[in-house]
Amino acid sequence: MLTKLAFTGIKSRLRDYIVLLFGLMMSSGIFYMFESLATNRAFIKANARQITGANFIFLFGAILLTIITLVYVFYANSFLMSMRRHDYGLFMMLGAKQSKIGQLILIETSVIGTIASLIGTFVGWGLTATLAPFLMSRMIGTKLHHFSALYWPAVWITILLYIVLFLIAGAINRLVLTKTPVLKLLKGDSQPNRPRLKPVSQLLQVIIGLGLLAMGYYAMSHIQTFVLSAIPIGLVTIVLGTYLLFNAVFVWLIIIIKRSNWSNRGLRNFTLSQLSFRIRNYTKILSIVSILVALSLGAITVGIGLQRQVTALSTASNAYTMAIKNPSAETLHEINQLKLATQVTYQQKETKQVIYYRANQIKQHPVQFTGFGPLINSTKRNRLAEPKYRPMTRSQLSKHPEKLMVLQPKAPQKTPRLVSDDAFKKIPVKTQRLMLFRVNNLQADKAGLKRVVASLGNPPVTTIPGSYNVFILGTVLFGGLEFMGFFLGIAFLAMLASCLMFKILSGAASDKGRYEMLNKIGARPAALRSSIAREILVLFVLPAIVGVIHVFFGLQMFKVLMLNPYYQIWLPFTIFFVLYMIYYIITVQLYEHIVLPKLKIDQ
Amino acid sequence: MKTTPIVSVRDLHKTYGKTGEKQYEALKGISFDVNAGEFVGIMGASGSGKTTLLNILATLDQPTSGDVEINQQVLTDLKGNQIADFRAQQVGFIFQDFNLLENLTNFENIALPLSLQNVKGKLIHSKVAQVAQSLNIEAILDKYPTEISGGQKQRVAAARALISHPAILFGDEPTGALDSNSARDLLEMLTTVNQEQQVPVLLVTHDPFSASYCQRILFIKDGQIGQELEKGAQTRQQFYQAILDALGTFD
Ligand SMILES: Nc1ncnc2c1ncn2[C@@H]1O[C@H](COP(=O)(O)OP(=O)(O)O)[C@@H](O)[C@H]1O
Ligand SMILES: [Mg+2]
Repeated sequence: MLTKLAFTGIKSRLRDYIVLLFGLMMSSGIFYMFESLATNRAFIKANARQITGANFIFLFGAILLTIITLVYVFYANSFLMSMRRHDYGLFMMLGAKQSKIGQLILIETSVIGTIASLIGTFVGWGLTATLAPFLMSRMIGTKLHHFSALYWPAVWITILLYIVLFLIAGAINRLVLTKTPVLKLLKGDSQPNRPRLKPVSQLLQVIIGLGLLAMGYYAMSHIQTFVLSAIPIGLVTIVLGTYLLFNAVFVWLIIIIKRSNWSNRGLRNFTLSQLSFRIRNYTKILSIVSILVALSLGAITVGIGLQRQVTALSTASNAYTMAIKNPSAETLHEINQLKLATQVTYQQKETKQVIYYRANQIKQHPVQFTGFGPLINSTKRNRLAEPKYRPMTRSQLSKHPEKLMVLQPKAPQKTPRLVSDDAFKKIPVKTQRLMLFRVNNLQADKAGLKRVVASLGNPPVTTIPGSYNVFILGTVLFGGLEFMGFFLGIAFLAMLASCLMFKILSGAASDKGRYEMLNKIGARPAALRSSIAREILVLFVLPAIVGVIHVFFGLQMFKVLMLNPYYQIWLPFTIFFVLYMIYYIITVQLYEHIVLPKLKIDQ
Repeated sequence: MKTTPIVSVRDLHKTYGKTGEKQYEALKGISFDVNAGEFVGIMGASGSGKTTLLNILATLDQPTSGDVEINQQVLTDLKGNQIADFRAQQVGFIFQDFNLLENLTNFENIALPLSLQNVKGKLIHSKVAQVAQSLNIEAILDKYPTEISGGQKQRVAAARALISHPAILFGDEPTGALDSNSARDLLEMLTTVNQEQQVPVLLVTHDPFSASYCQRILFIKDGQIGQELEKGAQTRQQFYQAILDALGTFD
């Protein structure tokens, strides 16, 4: 009987359940995709050379995703409970046993979790099959081998994680519901928490909050001195600082606005009261969301930025695109097809320890280099921004023999030595040719360079000294970062916006009565709608603003890695805000659907 | 001399349920008037259609057929925002369960109808002060509804209903959730308001004691008006007895 009753309760709110299921499905689908890419052994082995960097990236992504999934399931679950509280309260009032209710809760929660994770994994399989090969091939530039979208270990991990999370959530629900007095279940939280001005404590919170934020930002912008500890320091200080600021400033603002004349018109006062009614409930999630906004926005921005930088980075990494020993006629032919900026061939003789060059030849055609020190330097000359290829003097060369050594295919550890033509002749080994060249534009000659590599023979040569090698590695790594930044950023965004959405919708059930009352005393439907839209807008915009500020400071960290972390920053921001606004609109729609009285007369 | 009535109801029908589904006719042709300054009661057993009737009069629901005119405005002519504005300006409504917004202070609750009409802040303050004084709730204006008693809540609700000087005040069993002392207080207050401010009151109740405060009582049974009782020159005690007698024969 009770089970049947419970089921009727679900049926009457089918739409809300569908929203819940859909969100969970997307979350587990995305999770599966990461998991299958990160852990698929056969696939990784087959593509080992190209993929090691990418694999790490996916694993990292999957861990981050697990953490946010935890948060997400928690909020989705609180939404679920807000829908059911009243029903369960009613059952208990009618005399249902607590143990029976507890059982129902556990069953309901785990059934939803199971359904969501099953469908979600299926969706994830589809996502992986269609999206992954395309994205991966963009990332690493070649076709994938042995790639199958269905990878059972990943399936198990996904389903297990979700079911375990939901079982935990169900157990928590059970505990909370059976401990709550029935009357409270029926009536919900109607106790207002009167917003109070406590100037001293609030001022203190603002000061401490700002201080913590400043510390976090300082650590991030001086990542060279703090190295890895900058990240945990930044995270802790910024999370705490954000929370304190929200707590103090939010309350303050609302009280000030409420006192002003502005709040006297229409439903403004009501909207403000709605906001202040929830302040304490919301400061936590708003701080979390602002951090997540920052993380996902940051991920997208950095991902895109790094990928854009690969060409510049490799061009500046070496004065030569490739160094090839004893090029064959075929290779030379391929090289001649390229648009070359410079080209030189040195004679050399190789013994066990030393490689001999003819000093005369080097003097006539000096080895070029791109300078010393780090590639990116925010204070001194930035080699990445304006790579200059300069000839090395003889004394520079003897001080920095490594500049020549790195150009040696296969034997970079042998010491270079410059000798006279006579001495060179007397060395009793065969003369070799070392050919160095630089193309004008790596990106433009991509295909031609690939043919050069192919001409080097079978089995394919893996590493060729020069900027091309950096280019290839960079494309894989940064392409992976871009992909991950993008994908993770959007997955994060989807989940954080859903968290916020569920949090807001969780309050909708108890708001229903309020909107009915307003309707009864003559508030226009349009006024009700605009009140809802404004209230939710504030809840969406506040964390977004704070998140954007976090990103602007957080990008300082990447000054070590990137030429200009803020380059074309509008692009990721635009993508982000379009998606975010879509979530906002959906939330408003769903909220209105739950809350607005359906009176014939108003249609 | 006969003045135009404030409320005029003609042959009102209300059927619940869509055509094709199970239907239930809650009102089966109701007609009556409420004149200026009158205090009229509507009595009937639970389920007799009292709330249905009052909701239609307050534009919270629509009749299936029939006409309602309030303050010379035909309700069925109202469209869209006019309905909400009519509710805010022309009718005051007191509900059994108070219907106060618990996230607003009592002051803000009372001021809400004025805010909805974008009345200036200063004027709102003076008007709220005025109505609060007449209902003796000045001391609790800054509290929240959850911090005051049921009787006080109903006074706040009454203040909110009266603040925009409505053409008529409706009460749907406003004493239903109150103890007898608070109920008496509220009824006396409504009588005072009715007499001093000449606001007509239409009170729905199933409680004879509450009904005895009215000048005229309409008995509603199974969606129809069966009987009418006038207080005339009787004392409230006598009228109370008359109501009890009428109920005895009516059932
Ligand atoms: N929304 C509705 N849908 C269907 N029937 C309703 C609805 N509202 C009330 N009724 C029915 O109409 C009748 C009158 O109800 P109501 O006006 O609330 O009576 P009262 O207020 O006198 O107790 C009752 O039998 C009730 O079941
Ligand atoms: Mg009723």
